[in-house]
Amino acid sequence: MTKSSSKIFLAALALAALGSLTLATSVEAARGGGGGGGGAGANRASAGGGGGQHAAAGGGANRAAGAGERKNVQATNAHADKRTNEVRNTSVNNVNVNNNNVNVNKNVNVNVQGNNNGCCNNGWDNDYHPIATAAAVTATVAVTSAVIGSMVNSVPPSCVPVNYGGMVYQQCGSTWYQSQGPQYIVVNPPY
Amino acid sequence: MQYKFLSPCLLALALVAPGAPAQTAAPAPPAVDPATVQALKDMGAHLQSLQRFHVTNELTGERVLADGQKLQHMASAAIDVQRPNRLRVKMSSARSQRELFYDGKQVTLFTPAQQYYASVPFEGSVGDLAGALQAKYGFELPLADLFVLGTPAAPLDKLDSAMNAGQDFVGDDLCDHYALRQGNFDWQIWITVGSKPLPRKLVITNRADEARPQSVSLIEWDMKAVAASSAYTFKPPKGAKAIDMVARKAQ
Repeated sequence: MTKSSSKIFLAALALAALGSLTLATSVEAARGGGGGGGGAGANRASAGGGGGQHAAAGGGANRAAGAGERKNVQATNAHADKRTNEVRNTSVNNVNVNNNNVNVNKNVNVNVQGNNNGCCNNGWDNDYHPIATAAAVTATVAVTSAVIGSMVNSVPPSCVPVNYGGMVYQQCGSTWYQSQGPQYIVVNPPY
Repeated sequence: MQYKFLSPCLLALALVAPGAPAQTAAPAPPAVDPATVQALKDMGAHLQSLQRFHVTNELTGERVLADGQKLQHMASAAIDVQRPNRLRVKMSSARSQRELFYDGKQVTLFTPAQQYYASVPFEGSVGDLAGALQAKYGFELPLADLFVLGTPAAPLDKLDSAMNAGQDFVGDDLCDHYALRQGNFDWQIWITVGSKPLPRKLVITNRADEARPQSVSLIEWDMKAVAASSAYTFKPPKGAKAIDMVARKAQ
């Protein structure tokens, strides 16, 4: 690079820096006095870094302030592709309290059926019930009265609710349900 | 003759050359950087010294499907702690909202949508509770590491690797960024600089699967908006039904 072109380059850099400064200021102004959680985006934008992961996590920062104050609407998996149930592994959320995850994961494909935590870790964010792979579903249908993975609007009054692994299940004889939004999904017995 | 003499010299040079720069450079740093371990200890000690706090966690997690494709999901938690033995947690994930109450005598999991609650007696610190819920009920507290870092339950001698990864901003807070490796877990932590080190971000990469599912936790602290002491005791709402909390069965 020649001396003159490096000067131009530096000038451009300075301009760019000035530009991002202006941007940050205007974002700051737009944010006003609103909460502590929102600042993340501005810094990341001016730093120019961050992949999709950042964006996804950053976008949620605003919501954290209102944790537990969600409007009375429910998410449902009624239209989700059945492949989304074939979960072979998950992320983990802590490194100290459940180090046994390492061992659980090794058996992930062997123990998927018959345990709600058979796949993966039992992270607190893990509110979907691994219904098992397609092969396992076929095997299970033979011994249960309801088709694993099917949705129902209500469960019989004779069902017994229990809390297992932090989640509420309804046991109705040999059939188990887990609430999913406004409906219930037939799952493999959690234990 | 001269030629014959030269070639062994060249050969010797060639043999020596690759090693030469290494001799002049600084020795390779240890895999586990002591300053990084000290930073974790300092943060742990500070966390354990906090008597009352409110902390929120915005989590992005991943599931790996049968063919290796990954799906991302989000969850959030709001946590109130009053040491040594009071804890309240609100957890929101895609299909469930749950609340946990612990007042030093009993711990209750409540699902507001169905108005079911399950209580069991427990005595001990919030750190003890984090371990016991995991071990006995297979239930993980959000940000569980926070309650044990700085205690013997989170030994720092199992690290395979630890390094300082420079500085970064998390929100408006300048943080030191550390990268660690422990068995199948790679983890990164962003700790605020200064005399009150707090974790602002935690990333854990699970290397047990080739798809490397990763969790990203953003952590927000509030030392002022703390819950009243009475908020830690569960009072069943009218019409709520008690259900059993079933201990986790061995696989």
